[in-house]
Amino acid sequence: MLRKLLKYEIQATARIFLPMYALLIVFALINKFFMAVNADYLRIPQIISASVFVIIIVGICVMTLVVTIQRYNKNLLSDEGYLSFTLPVKIHSHIDCKMLVTLMWAVLSVIVSAISIFVMAVNEKTIVQIQRFFSEVIPALNKLGSAGYVIVLEVLLLAVVAVLSETLAIYAAITIGNMSSKHKILLGIGAYLCFGIIEQIIASILITSFSGTINQYFNWLSKFPAPAQANAMQLILLGLLIYSLVFGAAYYFLTNWMLRKKLNLE
Amino acid sequence: MAWNLKSDRPIYSQLVEQIELLIVSGIYPAGSKLPSVRDMAGEASVNPNTMQRALAQLENDGLLYSQRTSGRFVTEDVESIMKTKNSLAQGLIKEFIENMSNLGYDRQQTISLLERTAEEEK
Amino acid sequence: MENILECQNLVKFFPGCLALNSVNLAVPKGRIVGLLGPNGSGKSTMIKLANGLITPTSGKILINGMEPGIETKKIVSYLPERTYLNDWMNVNNIIDFFGDFYQDFNKQKAYDMLRRLGVDPALRLKTMSKGTKEKVQLILVMSREAELYLLDEPIGGVDPAARDYILDTIISNYSENATILISTHLIADVEKVLDEVIFINQGNIVLVSTVDDIREKENKSVDALFREVFKC
Repeated sequence: MLRKLLKYEIQATARIFLPMYALLIVFALINKFFMAVNADYLRIPQIISASVFVIIIVGICVMTLVVTIQRYNKNLLSDEGYLSFTLPVKIHSHIDCKMLVTLMWAVLSVIVSAISIFVMAVNEKTIVQIQRFFSEVIPALNKLGSAGYVIVLEVLLLAVVAVLSETLAIYAAITIGNMSSKHKILLGIGAYLCFGIIEQIIASILITSFSGTINQYFNWLSKFPAPAQANAMQLILLGLLIYSLVFGAAYYFLTNWMLRKKLNLE
Repeated sequence: MAWNLKSDRPIYSQLVEQIELLIVSGIYPAGSKLPSVRDMAGEASVNPNTMQRALAQLENDGLLYSQRTSGRFVTEDVESIMKTKNSLAQGLIKEFIENMSNLGYDRQQTISLLERTAEEEK
Repeated sequence: MENILECQNLVKFFPGCLALNSVNLAVPKGRIVGLLGPNGSGKSTMIKLANGLITPTSGKILINGMEPGIETKKIVSYLPERTYLNDWMNVNNIIDFFGDFYQDFNKQKAYDMLRRLGVDPALRLKTMSKGTKEKVQLILVMSREAELYLLDEPIGGVDPAARDYILDTIISNYSENATILISTHLIADVEKVLDEVIFINQGNIVLVSTVDDIREKENKSVDALFREVFKC
């Protein structure tokens, strides 16, 4: 069932993202052309097209957020909700589907933006620079041993979990906002800010209560060479990962509970 | 075949009357097979259960019979149909006489008016 | 399981409003039932509860003996009062959608009905008039071979010719294993099609009877009785 939900969710959102991606690539190519020609009389069009390129990238970022909010709100909490919630699927499947599709577009947006920038910027000079960068970074990573690659993996995982966690926070906030009949948006934004505040408070509490242990650990650690510091990095990242995971799970269960028990479609 | 159903009388008894009419007037001839309950209900725009009830009543009265696998049929007993036809006709006549009497005509006047009007109709 | 829908001491309380006041009801299979009552009487609340869209404050509502959940959603076909279709699909898409999610969806039937009602399947839902959207929704709902159909005001916004077609569809969709529950104000149009009616007012069941019993006992149509009972 989740697969079917995913299929339609992707269809619904692809109509927005794919054209934007296509536009981005087109302008990347246009900009590349301008840069290659580098003619004075083309200066104004060049500036315009460069600006448009930036606007599109910003647009893609903004769109990812807008679509996340709008799909959840429209498909589940407005008239379409009458269809969504009478489908023979588990409630949490709806949440799973939407957050996975959001993640997918977030990742794709980053990849497409990176590719378009690369396409624009790549020439003999930059290729040499990139080669030099990798020839320095990879040995450095190797020196750190397996820890280096673990760190890279953790960073990627953290990025994924953070995106999902933030998305779930947004969903939870929207669902809370929907409970009010007159001030949905205000309540939703308020809930989101509250979540942020709560996260900060808990983080501060954790850090201050463990500050003693943390200090001791780093003191002890500084006596060791670099690879040990990589271990520290690993642990820190692991900590952040768990932190994000816990909050993400909390938002997930909150949203699921509200949709199952407190749903009241107008 | 318009089904004329009034709103203040039970539907099923009106259906019984109308189907009787269809049978005695020969639209559903003796021995013929009736359409399915669902089709008849659809034609009359009524609930199939109500139609079923009406048909069951007519079976009880002997105007219809059903065979498990083949469906419902009008009875082949032509006499029985004639009897029903006659009793319906008598009912109409009695009503007519009563109405004429309410208008103020006596038996003799009613009969002559009836004959005269029938002549003109030719 | 004899009853397709059962309410046991069902209570639904909203802030400031008692929508259903300990309702007890049993609707058997193979019936076409009218749920009749003025606005705000609790009809829509009961239907939403049956669909699992809202949860009871206390008491139970059972579909084929089960509480609302995935298993009941598989056998219930719901037509809400509002249009619930999304914008971006066309009719073909939404038919595929229903076919994907509901095992009992009959695509051929849906296309037949679309043709009879003159709806072009390539049309985008966004561009349709309200009346056409309502027809499409009704077709989608009636093309399922469900065990319980919950129709909330199915003939309200439709022209009289389509209305007749819809009532005929309801009659021909009848099966001994299915029940159709129609919630409506347009009682006169629908009366002949109903087995039974349920009068509901302010969260309480006021009357449960067959249409013919009412006509026999009261010598008036259900519509006329309704106007009497719910006189303003």
